[in-house]
Amino acid sequence: MSDAVLLEADLPMGGIKVVEFAGKEVLLGRISSGIYAVDNLCSHAEERLANGKLKGHRLICPLHGAAFDIRDGSALTRPATKPLSTYTVRIENGEIFLGEPGKENS
Amino acid sequence: MTDQQDQPGATRSPGATIADTLRSDAVPPPQPLLEARNEYMGDSDIPFARYTDQAFFDREMNSLWPRCWQWACREEHLQDVGDTYVYDVGRYSVIVVRSSPDEIKAFLNTCTHRGTRLLGYQGGGYSGGFRCPFHGWSWQLDGCIDNIPGRWDFPHVSDETHGLQPVQCELWGGFVFINMDPEAAPLHDFLDVLPDHFQHFPLDQRRIRLHVQKTLPANWKAAQEAFIEAYHNFETHNSPNGGNAQYDIFGDFVTRFIHNLGNYSPESLVDYPGEKFREPVMTEDELLRSMTFFGHGKSEVGPGETARSVAAAGLREQLGTKFGIDLSEVSDSIMLDSIEYHLFPNMFFFPGINVPMVYRFRPNGMDVDSSLFDFVILEPLSEGATHPEPPEPHILDVEQSYTEVEELGWLGPVYDEDTGNLALQTQGFKTSRKQGLTLGNYQESRIRRVHLTLDKFMDEREQGASNE
Repeated sequence: MSDAVLLEADLPMGGIKVVEFAGKEVLLGRISSGIYAVDNLCSHAEERLANGKLKGHRLICPLHGAAFDIRDGSALTRPATKPLSTYTVRIENGEIFLGEPGKENS
Repeated sequence: MTDQQDQPGATRSPGATIADTLRSDAVPPPQPLLEARNEYMGDSDIPFARYTDQAFFDREMNSLWPRCWQWACREEHLQDVGDTYVYDVGRYSVIVVRSSPDEIKAFLNTCTHRGTRLLGYQGGGYSGGFRCPFHGWSWQLDGCIDNIPGRWDFPHVSDETHGLQPVQCELWGGFVFINMDPEAAPLHDFLDVLPDHFQHFPLDQRRIRLHVQKTLPANWKAAQEAFIEAYHNFETHNSPNGGNAQYDIFGDFVTRFIHNLGNYSPESLVDYPGEKFREPVMTEDELLRSMTFFGHGKSEVGPGETARSVAAAGLREQLGTKFGIDLSEVSDSIMLDSIEYHLFPNMFFFPGINVPMVYRFRPNGMDVDSSLFDFVILEPLSEGATHPEPPEPHILDVEQSYTEVEELGWLGPVYDEDTGNLALQTQGFKTSRKQGLTLGNYQESRIRRVHLTLDKFMDEREQGASNE
């Protein structure tokens, strides 16, 4: 059985999807430079980022407007200061697989 | 070439006028482009202190920026309910938000509890509501209070007293304008001829193709004045076609230049240094080739044609296909020329197809010697198409080159040339024994108009305040 988290075709350009991976909610987003995966919970007040919006590479929290760079998880604006965890993304045969950075399965 | 004693400001450059050129174009222009209106407004120097003094900057910060209409963003930035745009000017910050499918609202970006700025970013964002990061007071998108933690302690607080502070907000040409002055007259009162003229080239039927925001090393007025005349074209851009540009003063708030591309008048350069562009005069074929980088795709000017008509025809084909619109009726001038309307105090709109820009200049925070220049390319939208999500702006610092933005293409080096003089000018302001800058009566009349209106605008508002 495949452990893919999502079909690539189910993630349109500019779209976001939430999947479960390694016991956590992970947000997948697709922008022109590729598909990226970060924690779904804001590093500031733990709001679900999937309730916000992806604008270009900026993932915006709906609660206080904090923005993160979806490409590397970095916090771009206050009140967030801590980065989001990121996950490696691998695409095979139209399926998206995630890995945790630094681990074998990535 | 000097003004006649009895009619200062009435003299024009020798050679063909813009109107002459436009009337002879293969596809003639809409009526507004044939209008010409200028007035002599005096020839006294403009004091350098208006660009360099903290006191004058502070006066603008009190009597201009919080009182005047200025565009904050495009309507296309606010497509979904909750989409926000944060616009900062000087010490002020305004949130613009699509509060419901049919409504855009604007608020001061500050908490009504203890004053904290609510949204930390500038530019486009998204909010489910507004929540202060300090104590968690929150508001709905329409500015009404949503929740106050420990409400029992605030019996003296209500929507009337502690809703978000509204900012006036109006739409024109697909732009969202704001005015922080609750008493300000409607936007329309400040647009002069713009609504009438732009019926012919509606800007709401355009989309943002590119947005570049650059920090410039000059006061916001000096920065915008680098773009308000074509007199500098010869020296700054090594270009022949600034000498006979047309400058219009339509009222206190709106001015215009029209500067032809694809032709020039050698007579207008008669006392310019050297013989460049005069001896020999460029042929029509050379003029056409000088516009190759526009992508008109033509190589030769046939009998009875001009470089302008050939280039315009080529661009109609190329750009018509690219944009998916019919440009067959669009005049040569709108296709080619640099036609630039200025709206007081800091906004420029170009109705052109090949030169389709919008500019905005504003103070960079509270630094008198620094400004932010927003450069936007507004591309025509095919009929019936909806606006796509606008691209993120490219942010360039003061030392960065426009050529770093690949999409700018041929415009990159041109804007480097335009902005390259600004640091020198700011330094020159401060070393000069002479106390002000001297303006040409006609070619630099738009600069004088803005300064006169600035004084009048601030005087009226300060007068009003002292009468209260």
